Amino acid sequence: MSAPALETRGLSRRFGGLEALSDVSLSVEPGTVLGIIGPNGAGKSTLINLVTGHLKPSSGSVCVDGREVTGQRPWVIARAGVARTFQIVKPFRELTVRDNVAIGAMFGPDGAGSVKDAQRRADEVLERVGLAGRGEVPPGELDVADARRLELAKALALGPRLLLLDEVMAGLRGSEIEPALELIRSLRDEGMTIVAVEHIVKVILSVSDEVLVLHEGRELTRGKPAEVVKDERVIEAYLGQRYAKRMAGGNGDA
Amino acid sequence: MATDTQAEKPASAEGPGGARRLGFLSGRAGWAAAAVALLVFIALPTQLYGSQQRTLAAAFMFVALAQGWNLIGGFAGYPSFGNVVFFGLGGYTTAILMAKAGASFYVALPAAALVGLGFAALMGVPVLRLRGHYFAIATLGVAEGMREVVLNLDGLTGGGSGLTVPAVGIEATTSYPGNAGFYYMFLALAVLATAVVLWVSRSRFGYGLRAINQDEDAAAAMGIDTTRAKIGAFALAGVITSLAGAMYAFQQVSIYPARLFDVQFTLLMVVMAVIGGSGTVVGPVLGALGLTFLSEYLRDNLTDYHTLVFGVIIVAAVILLPQGLVRFVQEGWRTRRFSLLDNVRAYRL
Amino acid sequence: MTEFLQATVYGLLQGGLLALVAVGFSLVWGVMNVVNLAHGTFVVLGSYVAWQLNKSAGVDPFLGMFAAAACLFVAGYAVHMLLINQVIKAPIWMTLLLTFGLELVLINAMVLLFSGDFRSIETGWAGDAIALGDVRIPYGRLAGFLVAVGLTLALVAFMSRTRLGLAIKATGMDRDAARLMGIRARRVYAITFAIAAAMAGAAGAIVGTVGTFSPASAPAFTLQSFVIAVLGGLGNMWGALAGGLVLGLVQSWGGQYLSGTLVTAIAFGVLVAVLIVRPAGLLGKPYYEARVET
Repeated sequence: MSAPALETRGLSRRFGGLEALSDVSLSVEPGTVLGIIGPNGAGKSTLINLVTGHLKPSSGSVCVDGREVTGQRPWVIARAGVARTFQIVKPFRELTVRDNVAIGAMFGPDGAGSVKDAQRRADEVLERVGLAGRGEVPPGELDVADARRLELAKALALGPRLLLLDEVMAGLRGSEIEPALELIRSLRDEGMTIVAVEHIVKVILSVSDEVLVLHEGRELTRGKPAEVVKDERVIEAYLGQRYAKRMAGGNGDA
Repeated sequence: MATDTQAEKPASAEGPGGARRLGFLSGRAGWAAAAVALLVFIALPTQLYGSQQRTLAAAFMFVALAQGWNLIGGFAGYPSFGNVVFFGLGGYTTAILMAKAGASFYVALPAAALVGLGFAALMGVPVLRLRGHYFAIATLGVAEGMREVVLNLDGLTGGGSGLTVPAVGIEATTSYPGNAGFYYMFLALAVLATAVVLWVSRSRFGYGLRAINQDEDAAAAMGIDTTRAKIGAFALAGVITSLAGAMYAFQQVSIYPARLFDVQFTLLMVVMAVIGGSGTVVGPVLGALGLTFLSEYLRDNLTDYHTLVFGVIIVAAVILLPQGLVRFVQEGWRTRRFSLLDNVRAYRL
Repeated sequence: MTEFLQATVYGLLQGGLLALVAVGFSLVWGVMNVVNLAHGTFVVLGSYVAWQLNKSAGVDPFLGMFAAAACLFVAGYAVHMLLINQVIKAPIWMTLLLTFGLELVLINAMVLLFSGDFRSIETGWAGDAIALGDVRIPYGRLAGFLVAVGLTLALVAFMSRTRLGLAIKATGMDRDAARLMGIRARRVYAITFAIAAAMAGAAGAIVGTVGTFSPASAPAFTLQSFVIAVLGGLGNMWGALAGGLVLGLVQSWGGQYLSGTLVTAIAFGVLVAVLIVRPAGLLGKPYYEARVET
């Protein structure tokens, strides 16, 4: 009986008078994918920031692999095996794509000894995400899909056991989404635990083992994807009646 | 296809870059040029008058100061406007140890370095939490405040009248090196400072600093202990700057707070590093040498107007070469297009 | 006790004037993210304009103040369009260096034109004072205080009640969004800078009346503007007023009871402490949070 890959208890964060996140308790089994959906302002990114240490909780706790990491600095948590992507990509603009990824290889839990080793590892990661051969390019020259691949590559370079994806599919065309889903599934099959915040419901349905719905900073419901999207409260708060009708009409179509 | 490293340089010294090492002089030709320059500098004093040796010594001192700033301002992206605090502390440590404790200069020197290191770590903890303008002003405040403190600690520092380092006669604990001696001393410091920056630029540490500079949040998310890295850079800068201050105090013999904590040092070192090319290895060297000679030339030939003209040159350089000389040449070489106008267009509204 | 009251009165009167000195600096920093190291020279230039008018045409400095403000408005606009705008999108220390170079040029130009001597503007009436008990309140300082506070309040009203004021605030919050809504950011910036220079010039005219000035006084004004802007919060006009009064009082009381140089050290200590504990200043919003910028 191993510890959950990620566990939060009563996690809350207040900004002045605003309760961005209220009393959220969740746990994610290792090697599974948890999808998180909810309207804007529901607290999804706040939750990620609290887990990765970019924000300190107002109350509550966060445990990774059974270890308490509440309130630790981001690099401590990164070295504990947690990696994340940012909703608005944050590449190091004056480093090459390869060096962007190499940073992760240099400073992650498995930190490479030398710059050259890190760069070699970076090339492997680039290959995995589909950016092979673009190592010398400056990040500013990448299109949206490649920019998101870079963001993912940077996270993977840390060799994480827990990966937090913040709307990693946003802005991708239909044809670009499927390969991304494949990648996520293959990562999960290798034992990585993934928490993915997404707006594209088709993505959530096809890749999540469980779905958590956040609304106004609180947990609305949690369960298997197919059940959650049929939940009346979720339809009311987020999916909308038209979507529900379409779902009812053409089975699993979205 | 051109021969060996010359052709390799543009490609490997390209735009974004971990590969931005010795500016555009990476590869064997770059090292050769540096070695030649060093040999020239070593052989030069025999051909120079005392005043010229002093000018070059000052230029080397500024190379060290600019490289020190380069580490915290150029690589880490934290523009310190208070590095002169280390300069002054190093100088006063030396003067106090030599004048009051009868120590030799060569004992005072490492003491000054330790003081610089310690104070940088101490000051860095609170101050490096600030960003941008706030950081700049906080460091400025610390430097100015330290000057006042030193001014008021009469007993120890001699207050406004300052201290005199024993340099001649029986009281002298160390024989005074003279113009040529100081020339070599400052040259050694300049080489040391540049070597440190070179090492940093190629190391994991340097990559970490650059990452912090370009996106501190992302850097932290990727496992970089930003606090330690920033303090490390600041501490290195502190050590180099305080060594320069120690040598300066010995050279000037008579020191007082207004001189050793003069904000002009700060402004000059920043200008030199930035105009030469902050974040590069060669940039601050070129900036320091170039601006020192320029300043001397103006002072000799335009005595009344020299500060005015210097100011005009700074304004012009900032507008026309915002990325510094080294990057301008690198980019120009890479794109085969040297256009100052492009520079101007890049940053204006 | 009288001494304390006198120092308090002086502190407040001087503080109001300092607020006017600093308000433009704070505005430019808050709206444009530009720290103008040459701000103090604008103050001194205003002093010289008023002084010259007084010397050649006998104009009372409180009228000459308008001329000073007008001249500095034009000068500020030109400085922005020709110089500051060229590096407005560059890393912050570019503008710091640019304004540092500008400060060198302006101070030396003033020395060459006017010599480095200390001057002051003579009026028949500024030295006379009213007396409240044992406390002496010079007319000049009182008038200076009233005008300074009045102008600062006028600026507050301008910023919140006029279209241009709102445009300035909007551009300060999010330049790109403002441009998308049709605001000409470059012109807004130029006008903001010009207003700041004009305020400084007006303050200079008053400074010249209640005290002495020379080109060497410029850096001190810039420094005091720093402290006030940080204390009061960037771009916050009320904050500049509050900060000015606080600084005026601290300097006045400090000068009364402590040696002169220690007062400056304390001011710096306070500045650094405020920056670390509450970068937003007494009244302001945390700068880097209040901005929406990439």
